Amino acid sequence: MMLKLRQISKVFRTDLIETTALKHIDLEVAAGEFVALTGPSGSGKSTLLNILGTLESFDDGDYELDGISVRGMSDRALSALRNEKIGFIFQGFNLIKDYSLFDNVELPLRYRHFSAAERRQRVMDALALVGLAGRRDYHPSQLSGGQQQRVAIARAIAGSPRILLADEPTGNLDSLMARQVMELLESINQQGCTLLMVTHDPDQARRAQRQVQIVDGQLSDSAIYDPLQRTVA
Amino acid sequence: MEQLRYYLKVNWISIRRAPLPYALTILILSVGLGVFFANATFYYWLKHDPLPHKSANLFYPLVKSQPFVCDEGCAAPKIHSYRDVISLQQSDIPSKSAAMYSAGAYVRLVPNTTDAASDLPAVGMSLRITQRDFFSMFEVPVQHGDVWPDNTARHEVILSHDAALKLFGRTEVVGERLELDHRMFTISAVLAPWRMFPRLYDPQNDGYLEATEDIFLPLETGYDLNYVSNRQSSSFDDADYQKLASDGRTKALHQLQFWVQLDDANAQQAYADFMRHWVEEQKKVGRHPSANQPQLVAMTDIMQTFKAQSQEVIAFALVTLLFLLVCLCNACHLSLNRFIANQYEISLRRALGASRGQLQLQLLADVCCTAGLALLLALPLAWLTVQGISVLLPNQAVMASWNGSLLGSMVLLTLCTSYLVTLYPALRASFGNLSLQLKA
Repeated sequence: MMLKLRQISKVFRTDLIETTALKHIDLEVAAGEFVALTGPSGSGKSTLLNILGTLESFDDGDYELDGISVRGMSDRALSALRNEKIGFIFQGFNLIKDYSLFDNVELPLRYRHFSAAERRQRVMDALALVGLAGRRDYHPSQLSGGQQQRVAIARAIAGSPRILLADEPTGNLDSLMARQVMELLESINQQGCTLLMVTHDPDQARRAQRQVQIVDGQLSDSAIYDPLQRTVA
Repeated sequence: MEQLRYYLKVNWISIRRAPLPYALTILILSVGLGVFFANATFYYWLKHDPLPHKSANLFYPLVKSQPFVCDEGCAAPKIHSYRDVISLQQSDIPSKSAAMYSAGAYVRLVPNTTDAASDLPAVGMSLRITQRDFFSMFEVPVQHGDVWPDNTARHEVILSHDAALKLFGRTEVVGERLELDHRMFTISAVLAPWRMFPRLYDPQNDGYLEATEDIFLPLETGYDLNYVSNRQSSSFDDADYQKLASDGRTKALHQLQFWVQLDDANAQQAYADFMRHWVEEQKKVGRHPSANQPQLVAMTDIMQTFKAQSQEVIAFALVTLLFLLVCLCNACHLSLNRFIANQYEISLRRALGASRGQLQLQLLADVCCTAGLALLLALPLAWLTVQGISVLLPNQAVMASWNGSLLGSMVLLTLCTSYLVTLYPALRASFGNLSLQLKA
């Protein structure tokens, strides 16, 4: 099993209030699976994705990533796990505007023990896969939104991760670019990489092998969430 | 090397994002370090060991030699009487020993000399009245002639290099004659250029800051001719200061500094035993009635024991240190602004797999750049300050120089302060909430 969550809970606390973001979440995702995570705004989708990406800690329960329990891991071990196993694709791309495309894609590889030659090869392969090899020295501001998201995908896959976590990857794109990005993600998934995608778009969610819907911090596995109806069918 | 180049590139980009806070950080750090370095230069030379290879074997004996009972809150006199020194010199345990004091005299060249300077009026000069071992004990280099063959009285003087040039315009003057307060003396030796700094053989009354004396005169001659100390002297009985040749030798008239060289631990223990035994003997004849343990003060401890260091110097050092701390706090605050401007990138790097340890390693390039730039500004600032002070205080010009260890310490301090200035802001930036930072 690629992802295995058991009774995961998360509470955000301030001086005045406590907000329960996730309640006793159980979830399993098999290797190579394409899962869409849907739900209304504020339902806990992003919190769950951040916990899956180890960007956020959880209060209760246990989480195994590719057979490794992340609970109590040191910063160093957690960073290495994130670097080697997970590729992130953010809604806002999160590219560094001062760096070239090459440097942006190379960034996570800098924290692996790859030789310079291997790093270069991986970056060029990833850029070629997203169709931007010829623009390696461009800067993000010289690209369209769709192209920037493709660079972000190249950065996510350059380290050959076991799973891609995508948070609304087409949220900032027009429909044509969104379709191109989805096709790219599907082709990566078809090559064996597990894909877990947060989306509001029912059309995109339907392209997944499985849809997981989250409402008020609780999962409704395989249920189909219709954002127009705002109810669980 | 390739990774270092990458870190330097990342650092350069981070500087470009917030150039003003970075420039101000460097400026404030440099000013703090520059002022600190200038003060540290003086402090270093004041604390410098002028004879590091033998200072541990040079000792200043102290004995509670007051002729009355003086036990509570009563320290041993820092200067000795002639008769005590002669007694303490009876032992052959020290390989060398020398008593000394300072005085002043008017000096003029002998009128019938053929030298062009012979018609110069008498000039006031400083005297160190001492014994022959002084020169070997403190490694005083002799350029011409020889020091006195023994400690007997003789009308022979030794000139410092500067005094020979001042009086004769040259240094090859051995055998020539001069007048000291209208008495004729022959020059037996001329020293090579030499200055012990700090002059630890003379720790009283700021003597450690002064230049080498002009003329060296045998101790017995100094007493015969009634040269009274121009520094510290005291009497515990009815000794007449004007009768140094008689009362000075036999009564409790204290004006002598006294040093012994004890070459190993056995000699040091043996001489301590000798002093204890001597004190017991003195008590039997009614002298030195205070309960006391004679003390041997190592040259390395002499300033502390004599409380000789000026309190102003210590106060100024503390003020400079505080100024550096204030500069560090300000630089740290400015540095925090720069890291906040870079927080998004730091969070992104962490999200993509950089551990805090790896980011700290990356930070070292930043620290090196900051240290290099701060050093580039701080060193000239410190150098100008030091030179400015030595122009105002020419006698202290010997302190206006840097050696390898001083420069090394400055580089090390700059690296440490640069790391401190970078550490807290970087840690704060690396502990941010990743998901929040990346969503912003």
